[in-house]
Amino acid sequence: MNLDKLNRSVLAAHASGDGVALAQLYQFAGNEFVSAGSIDEGCFFLTQAYVYSLEFGLESAEEIRIALIEHGRER
Amino acid sequence: MDALQFPERRIESSRGLANAHYVSSDRYYEEREALLFSSWSGAAVASDVPNPGDAAPIDFAGMPLLLLRDHDGDVKVFQNTCRHRGMILVEEKCNLRGTIRCPYHSWCYNLDGSLRATPHVGGPGRNFDENVDRRNLGLFEVRSCVWRDIVFVNISGDAPEFDEYAKVIKDRWKEHEGKPLYAGPGSSSFEFDVACNWKLAVENYCESYHLPWIHPGLNSYSKLEDHYHIEEPGLFSGQGTLVYRQIVGEKGERFPDFDGLSEFWNEGAEYVALYPNVLLAVQRDHAYVLLLLPQGPGRTIERVQIYYPFEPETRPDLAQLMETNGKLWFGVLGEDLFVVEGMQRGRHGVMFDGGKFAPKMDGPNHLFHLWVADRMLARGRRMAAE
Ligand code: FES
Ligand SMILES: [Fe+2]
Repeated sequence: MNLDKLNRSVLAAHASGDGVALAQLYQFAGNEFVSAGSIDEGCFFLTQAYVYSLEFGLESAEEIRIALIEHGRER
Repeated sequence: MDALQFPERRIESSRGLANAHYVSSDRYYEEREALLFSSWSGAAVASDVPNPGDAAPIDFAGMPLLLLRDHDGDVKVFQNTCRHRGMILVEEKCNLRGTIRCPYHSWCYNLDGSLRATPHVGGPGRNFDENVDRRNLGLFEVRSCVWRDIVFVNISGDAPEFDEYAKVIKDRWKEHEGKPLYAGPGSSSFEFDVACNWKLAVENYCESYHLPWIHPGLNSYSKLEDHYHIEEPGLFSGQGTLVYRQIVGEKGERFPDFDGLSEFWNEGAEYVALYPNVLLAVQRDHAYVLLLLPQGPGRTIERVQIYYPFEPETRPDLAQLMETNGKLWFGVLGEDLFVVEGMQRGRHGVMFDGGKFAPKMDGPNHLFHLWVADRMLARGRRMAAE
């Protein structure tokens, strides 16, 4: 996971108010960390993804919520 | 409280409300509670949020409200304040595709006000906390009801049912009741930012005494004797005319009438101040509402919206006439501004005693003063009992 690159993309998406891109970027990062075994970092990013998915009414909200619940981070 | 200066039941011997009711900041807040928050007040028009998910922040006499249309198409009003640290939730008109996200720590609310997500509330990546029970942390909903496109709110939550409050006016205008109203485009919607207490705008609206002086244009076809008082103690007052003339375009075009009106409305029209802050006009071929949005003791925003009996997009042939009509009302209602602003400055004259009503001409106005006095006295009794 290239954190610098993620940071740059996230900042660009924040700056342009592109919530859909934010949701996707964070979800991708979250999944990467989780599969690498870094649950805390992963759930941090998944939480960010969850919020933007909710805000923009994206279908991804539900799968992220389930993932967070599985890790005991949401209920 | 200057109880001695409250108006009397008999208009012949009554004076008007004392200066403090117009210039005092303390009195403004007392009245905000007693007259505006504890009644059904007009806060917005529903056509401001035409589509599901549309949301608009409203400042109602300093109270931040959130007007939205949910995914079922119903209009709802919430306090526009996050339950976490009190941040304003929605800053400008928008369409909510999903939830309402607080711009501070991103707590997310559903459009029914319930709290959906509390990100990182239990630490980074941990989204719940034993001590933060989402079920009890939904947005505060404000009691609301839409009538004639007007979004009425009762902030105290304990006013009588809206239908009870509106029964008499609905009955008076039963021929108009339930007929579709379409918000006009362009010049049909406008605002005035006026340096006066909101009550002065009510008072000026409900009397016809000023017509020949302030609206000489109107009066060329509408004489004082063609007007009558509308007096419904405790609810509304205003004026009616018996010589309403439709606006006619350059090619002779006219607006169609609302369906099924009786002959009375051919030349009849009524202009009513529905207490506290909703000024209405009902005519055969168009209507309008003027909402008084108080901004402090000496400042009011007047929000006007004109309505037609037909969908504006379906009548391009009437577009020009709608434009002209909006400008006409902008002009006529604008003629009153120097008066209400002048009366506001006049209320700083410390020797002004509330004024002398002209019993034959000022009945509707006197009724409004009595309503204010009654509500303020009731507030005084409530406070004494507490
Ligand atoms: S103030 Fe709204 S989430 Fe903190
Ligand atoms: Fe007027």
